[in-house]
Amino acid sequence: MPLTMPEEILLLMLDDESGRLQERAAPSGDYALAGAVIAELALAGRIDTDTQRLYVTDGTPTGDALQDAALAKIIAAGTESHDSRYWIEAIAAEAEPMRDALFDRLVARGILNRVEGRFLWVFPERRYPVIDDREEREVKARIMGVLFRDEIPDPRDCLLIGLCRAAGLFALLLSSQELDRVQSRIDQVADLEELNRALTAAIREIYAQIARFAPMV
Amino acid sequence: MDITESAVGDVKVATLKGRLDTATAAAAETRIIAMLEGGAKVVADLAEVHYVSSAGLRVLLKAAKQAKAAGGAFALAAPQPPVREVLEISGFDKILGVHASAAAAAAALA
Repeated sequence: MPLTMPEEILLLMLDDESGRLQERAAPSGDYALAGAVIAELALAGRIDTDTQRLYVTDGTPTGDALQDAALAKIIAAGTESHDSRYWIEAIAAEAEPMRDALFDRLVARGILNRVEGRFLWVFPERRYPVIDDREEREVKARIMGVLFRDEIPDPRDCLLIGLCRAAGLFALLLSSQELDRVQSRIDQVADLEELNRALTAAIREIYAQIARFAPMV
Repeated sequence: MDITESAVGDVKVATLKGRLDTATAAAAETRIIAMLEGGAKVVADLAEVHYVSSAGLRVLLKAAKQAKAAGGAFALAAPQPPVREVLEISGFDKILGVHASAAAAAAALA
C-alpha cells in the first residue's frame, strides 16, 4: 500500500541522525502536515477548494483516521464558509496527535523503529528517507523529474512539491546551487495548487508574527 | 456537465457547459482524455463554464500532461473573466495556451 502524503512528508521531515523531526521544519511543519491531510481529502474527492473557500463535496469517510478526523471537523462547521487557509490552521492545531498517530503507523509498517523516544529508520543507510527501496526512489525520482525536466506534473506531485516547500525541505534535499536553479520551477509547480498558495500565506503569517515579537538585538 | 464535441479542421473541440468541479471532474476527464488519444489536438472551449474549482483545474492539468505524453496538444479557449482570473493566479496560463476563442485556439494548434 503506497504511503499517503502525511506519511511521506513526516518521513521527509525526519532527521536521520537524531531520529527526531528537523528543527528547520518547525513551525511550518505543522502546517505542511495539515496541508498533506487536506491534500489527500481533495484527491479523494471529499473536499474541493477555490480562491474563496474550502468545502465538502462528499462526506463519506475515507477509512484513514487522520483524514476522517479532519473531514469530520470540516463537516461540523456546517454552513459556515471558510477558506483553505482557515482549515490549514485549524487542522494544524492537531499536529501533535497527528504526528503521534503517523509515527505509530510507520512503526507498525516496519519503516521506522521507536528507540528511546526517537524514531529511527529500520533501514537507515541512505541520507534521504528510505520509504522502502522502490518507493523512495520512485518518490524522489518523480519529484526531481518534475523539477529538473520540463514535464507537466500530475496533481499529486504538485501537491507534494508544495508540501515540501512549506516544510522547508528543498534546502535539505538539494544543494544550494541546485536550489537556485529550480526555485522558480518549484514555485511554478507548487502554485498551480490553491492549497499550496494557501499554505504559503499561512506560513508567511507565522514568520511575520515571529519577526514582530523577536527581541531587538 | 454537458460536453459536446466538434472539430475545426483536424483540431477537436470539446465545448464544456456549467461547472467544472469535483462533481463533474471525472466525466470531463474521461471525455477529454479519450479525445486526446492517438496524439490528437484538442481545445477545451470554456465559454459556457462559469466556475472552475481546484478539482476542475486538476482535470485541465491532467489533460495537458496526457496531450504531451501522447504527442498531441491541448489548449483552452474563451474562459469567462472569473475563470480567466483563476488561470492567471495559479499560473495555468503559463503551461497551457489560453485563447480568446475556439477558432483562435484551433489555429494556434494546427
